[in-house]
Amino acid sequence: MNASDGLDYAATQLARASLDHCVKCTICETHCPVSAVTDKFTGPKYVGPQAERFRHGESVDHSLDYCSSCGACTLACPQGVKIAELNGQARAVMKSDHMPLRDQLISQTTLMGMAMTPVAPVANAALSIKPLRTVIEKVMGIHRDAPMPKANTQTLAGWLKKRPKPTAKATRGTLVFFHGCAGGYFEVETSKKSIEVLEHLGYEVLVPKQGCCGLAEQSNGLFDGATAKVLKLCDELRSAGRDLTIISSSGSCTGMLKHEAHLIMGVDDARLADVGTRIRDIMEFLLELYEAGELPTDFKPIELTAVYHAPCQLKSQGMGQPALEILKLIPGVQAVESEVACCGIAGTYGLKKEKYEIAQAVGKPLFDKVKRVNPEFAMCDTETCRWQIRKGSGAKVEHPVFLVHQAYGLS
Amino acid sequence: MTRVVVIGAGLAGLVASIRLADAGARVALLNKGTGGLQLGQGTVDVLGYAPERVQRPLDALAGFAQAHPGHPYGMLDAALVARSLEYLKELLGPGLLTGDPAVNLHLPTAVGSVRPTALVSPSMTAGSCVDGASFVIVGLRRIKDFYPELVAQNLNRTDLPGGGRLTARHVMIDIPARENEVDSSGLTYARALDDPGFRRRFAQGVAAVVGEGETVGLPAVLGLDDHGAWAEIAELIGAPVFEIPLPPPSVPGMRQNRALTARAKAAGVRVVPGSRVTGFRSSAGAVDSVQLATAGGDRDFKADAFLLATGGFESGALSADSYHNLHEAVFDLPLRRPEGHLVHGDYWGDPQPLFTAGVETDDTMLVRHPGGEPVYSNLYAAGGILAGATRWQEKSGEGIAVASAVRAADSILEAATTATTQGAAS
Repeated sequence: MNASDGLDYAATQLARASLDHCVKCTICETHCPVSAVTDKFTGPKYVGPQAERFRHGESVDHSLDYCSSCGACTLACPQGVKIAELNGQARAVMKSDHMPLRDQLISQTTLMGMAMTPVAPVANAALSIKPLRTVIEKVMGIHRDAPMPKANTQTLAGWLKKRPKPTAKATRGTLVFFHGCAGGYFEVETSKKSIEVLEHLGYEVLVPKQGCCGLAEQSNGLFDGATAKVLKLCDELRSAGRDLTIISSSGSCTGMLKHEAHLIMGVDDARLADVGTRIRDIMEFLLELYEAGELPTDFKPIELTAVYHAPCQLKSQGMGQPALEILKLIPGVQAVESEVACCGIAGTYGLKKEKYEIAQAVGKPLFDKVKRVNPEFAMCDTETCRWQIRKGSGAKVEHPVFLVHQAYGLS
Repeated sequence: MTRVVVIGAGLAGLVASIRLADAGARVALLNKGTGGLQLGQGTVDVLGYAPERVQRPLDALAGFAQAHPGHPYGMLDAALVARSLEYLKELLGPGLLTGDPAVNLHLPTAVGSVRPTALVSPSMTAGSCVDGASFVIVGLRRIKDFYPELVAQNLNRTDLPGGGRLTARHVMIDIPARENEVDSSGLTYARALDDPGFRRRFAQGVAAVVGEGETVGLPAVLGLDDHGAWAEIAELIGAPVFEIPLPPPSVPGMRQNRALTARAKAAGVRVVPGSRVTGFRSSAGAVDSVQLATAGGDRDFKADAFLLATGGFESGALSADSYHNLHEAVFDLPLRRPEGHLVHGDYWGDPQPLFTAGVETDDTMLVRHPGGEPVYSNLYAAGGILAGATRWQEKSGEGIAVASAVRAADSILEAATTATTQGAAS
């Protein structure tokens, strides 16, 4: 489909049809982490299925902009109303004639990684200078205290090029690895460990050159750019092999490929459908192996009690929390479920100056739980959420694959 | 270790999952969304009307079942119901559920009618409608779902089930849970009342309007996570207090739903919310797996036994088309349907026959062809999907759900033990 059709699509159809399934039971309202902490957002039912009846292209309720797109409402709805998707579409239409420059810039995640990596120490230092952040807040609308990624001096591509080629023979076939922008530039360790775990299990892992999934642009309502990006990514991932399973340790980006690009932007393309059904979150993949009796469980004990937080966009994939099941298999590990819908950051939501306080309030119960359970360490599958939880709790926060890696004796 | 897939996370699905997991089964609880327990009132009905008002539900069960052939209580007898409700009381603890299932309490509703129910949240017991009671019903101006005048006036003119009358007066007060918000939900109040500071201010505001010897009726918003909030409020006010359940979001229902879900997870149940079960595979007369339609495509869930706890028409588990063909959503099961027309035109008349349609089981809760043999050797059903009850009219929903869930779980465990013993013997 033509990229610019995305907005027409959002304005006129798809998820709208599901609003007639709404029985006004308010279950979504009780799961919304944003309306729980602020009166600026009237809640998913009011802004979603109810306000949708009054929309004819234009929104009547502008509090819609305060929806963080965490998807807790859709996940909880027993009637199958696509509440979060409705709201994402309506927001894109609402913002289309006055898209803030800030939103156009912060959604360029690959660009940020590419620009920062060569000058990592300088970039990291610059982002820690308070007066500079104040200026950025004034000019750009990015809150001065919002969590920022730490740039690495080495990208994943750089590591892959320099490391010695794996010598063990692949006995289980070939997988494709999708690392996402953050996994390529900022959270490189997660990607490395994921690849090493898969290789340890006996897979050959291909990492084709790949760009961004466009999730940040999608959630900011920039459908043209997001559609172009996600389709380009599909081509790149498909170039590695036609029938191979694709593995990702970027919890949220996986959701973009599995359903969000199609459901929210109406991308109806065979390439996306192909990638979206072949991709597995790495913990989901390990659990599938376990259920099939094919996962070695010779895990070394790790004495650790820590909070595990499943990102909202991982939960919204409707597969439960596979990491919790995998972590149960490692002797000594007590993963304490966060029981929190969202950490607050919701992609780029919590960076914005007008939403920063809300994002912090949304995350507070999670930060408090981390501090209570284990103030040193916590786990979470998505990069931006880890930055938010690190900043909010002070704990080291890593992808659960770190523990699998360690339990297999790889670190 | 036996593997069980439970479909549906309402009261029946949650109770069965916990019982199975506690006994060592590996349980996956699949649910499209949050279960109906959260929409309930924080009470457990066993039998409220038969059709006259019931005072002693357990004693009434046998006669009721006899008068209603094919009713679930025909196979779930009073002893099983009593045992199952004791189990539910243990699971929820005295902070969330109290009472004697042998005796109904009669509690005020949000429109001031007097509703019979068996087990209740302890925050509601002071609202028992007995002769000579003196209530002050206190409304909160910013909660739009509770009209104290309506409640008080209706209570005043009601001849009480046990005989006599009570007196009730009404007061409306304004204590904002969130400044600047004119229309707050009960949930917003409940969250605010988890905070001891707000609780004190709230109690002061209420205490100012309470008269000597009065019992205070408040909308059921007295704390969400802090289950002792209502008792502290009563102490601060210096008078007995009771909660009156509101339309959803129902805070007492949420408390119970959260507690049972947390209990299920603690028991090791793998909870998978947000996706619909859209298909299944079977061989040799048994269900092998169900397919869960997750975001990235169908995922296969294999198990030794399956429990269907998806609810009735209200949840979409059952549907009727315009030709009055009935359909069960997951397994396309044969359904028992009432004789004659499913729906009659008398809106205020007799119960609509449609709602007694549903899945038929044998007394182990194994799904069977109506009047015939089991459909599959390992597919069980519990709760609202069962044929034969008009649950909201009889006020029988929770009693059926809990007893059938316990029975189904025990049958699955027995079948697993038998299989193991036979396996060992051969």
